[in-house]
Amino acid sequence: MTTHDITSIGLLHRQLFKAMQLEHATAPPYISALYSIHPGDNADAAQILRAVAVEEMLHLTIAANVMNAVGGTVDFTVAGFVPSYPTVLPDGEHDFEVGLGPFGKDALETYLKIERPAMAPRGQARHVQIKGGARHFISHPHDQTLRYYSIGEFYAAIRDGIVYLESEAKAKGKTIFTGDRAKQATAEYYYSGGGRLWPVFDVDSACRAIDLVIEQGEGELKQIFGAEGEIAHYYRFDQLQKGRYYQIGDQPGQPTGREIHVNWEAVWPIAVNLKLNKIPEKSELHAAVADFNKAYREFLAFLTRAFNGEPKLLLEAVPRMFEFRNRMQQLIRNPLPGGDCNAAPTYEI
Amino acid sequence: MSVSRRLETFVAFSAEVTAFTPTEVWGTGLTQRYLDTVDGVVGTAMTDALLNAFDRITTQSAGERTAKLRQTVFGCEQLGPVARAVVKLWYIGTWYALPAAWQERFGPAAQDGTFVPTPDAYVEGLLWSAIGAHPPGAKAQGFGSWQFPPGIPKF
Amino acid sequence: MSILDRRAIMVDPGVLKNSGHYDAIIVGSGVAGAIIANELAQAGKRVLIVEAATETDRSFKGYSSYLQHFYGQADKDNQSPFPVNRNADMPRSGQLRKLDPLEINSTSYIVQSGPYVTDTVYTRAFGGTTIHWEAKTPRMLPQDFQMQTLFGQGKDWPIRYHDLEVDYELAEREIGVSANVEDQQYLDITFRSSYVYPMHGLPLSYLDQRVAAQIDGSEVELYGERYPLRVRPFPQGRNAIPNQKYDGGKGYQPVGAVASHQIDVGGRCQGNTNCVPICPVQAKYHAGKTLAKAFDTGRVDLLSQAVASRVVIDSASGRVTGIETKLYHDPASPDHHTIMITGTLYVLAGNAIETPRLMLASGLRSSSGLMGCNLMDHAYLLNWALMPQICGTMRGTTCTGGIVELRGGAFRRHQATFSVDIHNDGWGWATGSPASDVVELVDAGNKFGADLRQAIIDRVSRQLLLAFMIEVLPSESNRVSVNPSYTDLLGNMRPVVSFTVPDYTLRGAAYARQFAKTVFARLGAEDHTKYDPSDYGFVTYEGEPFAIRGGNHLAGTHVMGTDKATSVVDTNQRCWDHDNLYLVGAGSMPTIGTANVTLTLAAMAFRSARNMIMQLGRLHAPVQT
Ligand SMILES: Cc1cc2nc3c(=O)[nH]c(=O)nc-3n(C[C@H](O)[C@H](O)[C@H](O)COP(=O)(O)OP(=O)(O)OC[C@H]3O[C@@H](n4cnc5c(N)ncnc54)[C@H](O)[C@@H]3O)c2cc1C
Ligand code: SF4
Repeated sequence: MTTHDITSIGLLHRQLFKAMQLEHATAPPYISALYSIHPGDNADAAQILRAVAVEEMLHLTIAANVMNAVGGTVDFTVAGFVPSYPTVLPDGEHDFEVGLGPFGKDALETYLKIERPAMAPRGQARHVQIKGGARHFISHPHDQTLRYYSIGEFYAAIRDGIVYLESEAKAKGKTIFTGDRAKQATAEYYYSGGGRLWPVFDVDSACRAIDLVIEQGEGELKQIFGAEGEIAHYYRFDQLQKGRYYQIGDQPGQPTGREIHVNWEAVWPIAVNLKLNKIPEKSELHAAVADFNKAYREFLAFLTRAFNGEPKLLLEAVPRMFEFRNRMQQLIRNPLPGGDCNAAPTYEI
Repeated sequence: MSVSRRLETFVAFSAEVTAFTPTEVWGTGLTQRYLDTVDGVVGTAMTDALLNAFDRITTQSAGERTAKLRQTVFGCEQLGPVARAVVKLWYIGTWYALPAAWQERFGPAAQDGTFVPTPDAYVEGLLWSAIGAHPPGAKAQGFGSWQFPPGIPKF
Repeated sequence: MSILDRRAIMVDPGVLKNSGHYDAIIVGSGVAGAIIANELAQAGKRVLIVEAATETDRSFKGYSSYLQHFYGQADKDNQSPFPVNRNADMPRSGQLRKLDPLEINSTSYIVQSGPYVTDTVYTRAFGGTTIHWEAKTPRMLPQDFQMQTLFGQGKDWPIRYHDLEVDYELAEREIGVSANVEDQQYLDITFRSSYVYPMHGLPLSYLDQRVAAQIDGSEVELYGERYPLRVRPFPQGRNAIPNQKYDGGKGYQPVGAVASHQIDVGGRCQGNTNCVPICPVQAKYHAGKTLAKAFDTGRVDLLSQAVASRVVIDSASGRVTGIETKLYHDPASPDHHTIMITGTLYVLAGNAIETPRLMLASGLRSSSGLMGCNLMDHAYLLNWALMPQICGTMRGTTCTGGIVELRGGAFRRHQATFSVDIHNDGWGWATGSPASDVVELVDAGNKFGADLRQAIIDRVSRQLLLAFMIEVLPSESNRVSVNPSYTDLLGNMRPVVSFTVPDYTLRGAAYARQFAKTVFARLGAEDHTKYDPSDYGFVTYEGEPFAIRGGNHLAGTHVMGTDKATSVVDTNQRCWDHDNLYLVGAGSMPTIGTANVTLTLAAMAFRSARNMIMQLGRLHAPVQT
């Protein structure tokens, strides 16, 4: 095995597709949990979940920008892009599953696993041997028995791959950055208070973009706050578990900021990993959930267009996402017949 | 009526008088809260009277139901003002005090007054979805959404 | 850095014993005080901000508690997000009533001495009234600075548009204004070449577009001159799409929420239609954003729950020697203790009511005698109608567009100008819509079910409200004063307001009504306007009835001028009488034209801050031998 995981442009495209899949895959779980929280209660928990979900969207956009820059294809409509929940993560972390369900203590454990900091040093050690039955996602680009320890490791390998492939290409007087610049989504079309977006067209802009994803995600090298003072996802969630905010100067695991009170009860009891066929057919609720899935499928097609030369569509995507929020909230408050649980979108696309 | 039947009937009645579907009524997350509100103001006996009056006509056609509702609920000296208060509650999220004349005749309803049962009530007012808008200060529709024609839902 | 981590924010009053080392003491954390605090601190000066309010919205939790409080109120009045604090009270429109001749209403915080009752408000909260404002940010017209010279009305400013132009740009940067230069170049407004606003303009609402479709390109005639009409977007202090061309191509980075990165809520405006009274996502500028930068320097301290009660003067030199301040411990209790706060310079930034109130309560009337006089505020006249088609009212920011072509013109010799807002939030301001519509349709219309739902669509989605913001000129008898019989819980004298709507303004109002009728006719809109004689803002002019609303644009009460005899402050907003005291804010404005005052007062704050830094430099300069 070489020191580089990504040794061809084809592999790079494959890993970038997984990156997009990965960023997207975490959004429905976070958002389901977010809207399961009673409005008005748990303002801190809701805000933390919301901030993380919004940044996952940013990361998806960044991954798509990098993909477009290196001449790959962005297509969110291909079969299997949206996983069937519960699922393992596309980067190959197999020791836990991610699913759709209400906010709660168990869910929080899972979020901490999703966002766990990169622990391993560079190179081979960033992999872990896969134990037990691997699911449908390939982890290591060409060694099926390996996976990455964390999302950070997974992205670091992509970054290294880009640097390596570009230096190889340069040596031959070529470049891997062959994409159409008009496809880049930039800050005009997308921004939130927390994130920046810039066009990707060379090694430097690509690496900066990937570093931002790593930094906003788990935070590298045990840093709670990033360069711009933004707190990493892992530590955002850790605050909920510890019941206290971090402030600058704190040690990991020992936040000293304002207290957070989490009301674990003020949550709608949505069914875990609900499937459409569990809802009585021909019922109004069945139709509403099916309708949601259909609208979501159309939305992914719409986003695909946005990343294929029509970045302006991203502006219209925002109102659509707000519309999803309303629909989700509505479903989440509907009791399922005969049980103690409530409905939720199933994301069966 | 059993507790769950009671709630279901209240949802069905609410859907009928607001012209929103039961899924949408449940979707506010306020069904139990509002039933409690009505019970709290007029007492369970009068709420039951309202629900029973509605229950008796549920199998009729839509046109007949409307006519019957006018005669036996909205036109009823006792139940009419309560039914109207329920409609306003769903649409606006505020319980409006019952008329003084009603209080004199059928009161005292000790908990009566004009109030918002819970902050969510305002946010979930059906008025806003009816007009394809959103309650000011909540459920924003997104940057620039205002430049397009409103998406007024069909019903 | 997260504001939750900023140190040296809340100072312990005990520490103040040796506060003599503050270069400036600023009373008020509103936009005027915040800009000055930040400018001084960036220049290395030490600053103490004295703020009467508590500091609830410093954290996200505090901010969201405002929101929950707002949702939970049955009567969503203007100030409903802001809980009552009797130690630092504020006006609330719910407390008003019509006055009999010579009657005085002292039950509201502002004592209304009439004859006109104003429902104007301001907010005493951390960050001041911008937590509450709508954030329209037009510049004044160049002609507004020369009212006397050009039209023989009102006063001239001692400075011109040109003198303030660069400071307007600074204010637009600070507030983060979204607008397109090409839309704002009308009448005599000019921009420096290649200037662009920090962010692109917000799109006009669908309602604006329906109005524009019928009136753009049409004209009105006034005193023999023709004015073309057009619906134009307003410049706004809320986050939109950053303009990459800003700052010579460097672009603009929008300022996020105060509570910073822990919670990401300083995003792009989402169209919450709730800019007033509070923006749920902090897309709208408020002074907390400037204060956050100021605190970051580590040179700005904040003393909150501290009500400045008396400005103490050395009678020989006229210089301020300290500010007597009452510290209360609990908003629900009048218990307090009094301390003296001292510094090198003193800046009163309490707004155009509170600043003169404090000066007058300290016995400082200015040698011009003009302290508190010349109170101005825009007079609003509302006109409402139903459009012939569904317009999707109730969506977007409170207001995106309007008709501004009559902000200037030769007719100003005779009558007031106005700027017309097209309200995206329907008739709410005039009638309490849409709740009042539903109540009426249910109770009087006997509607329920599908009939009701359709009736609501027809009634609400077609609403058009034109709010005419009419110019008011300075008049010495319109004023703020104090009277020892009216005090607040802490024993501070409350503001007493005497106001008569000037005839010049009422002539403008009469024309505004006529103008509205013309516009409604061109739109085919059904006029529903009526003015109720029992309305507290009811006035008549030449037999015609009007209900005038307050504009929340208080100004004029410590007027700026060229000399000590005819003005209170100089062109840097420094008191003629007290050379280490600045009175900053709209109170310094000699006239207000038809510009919502905040952008201009922010621009003046930059100007004053520069002067303060120079003055401090002179005071501290090493003695030359
Ligand atoms: C509903 C509404 C809408 C508005 N819309 C617009 C608009 O669209 N465009 C526009 O330009 N303007 C608008 N305004 C006006 C704008 O908000 C004000 O002009 C601006 O906020 C004034 O800023 P300021 O710093 O001078 O005073 P303020 O913001 O009022 O701040 C004064 C501060 O001083 C504090 N203070 C007062 N007295 C004392 C004391 N004795 N001791 C200690 N502290 C004290 C107060 O608590 C407050 O924090 C609006 C206002 C309202 C109410
Ligand atoms: S429209 Fe909404 S999001 Fe935009 S500034 Fe106003 S309240 Fe904030």
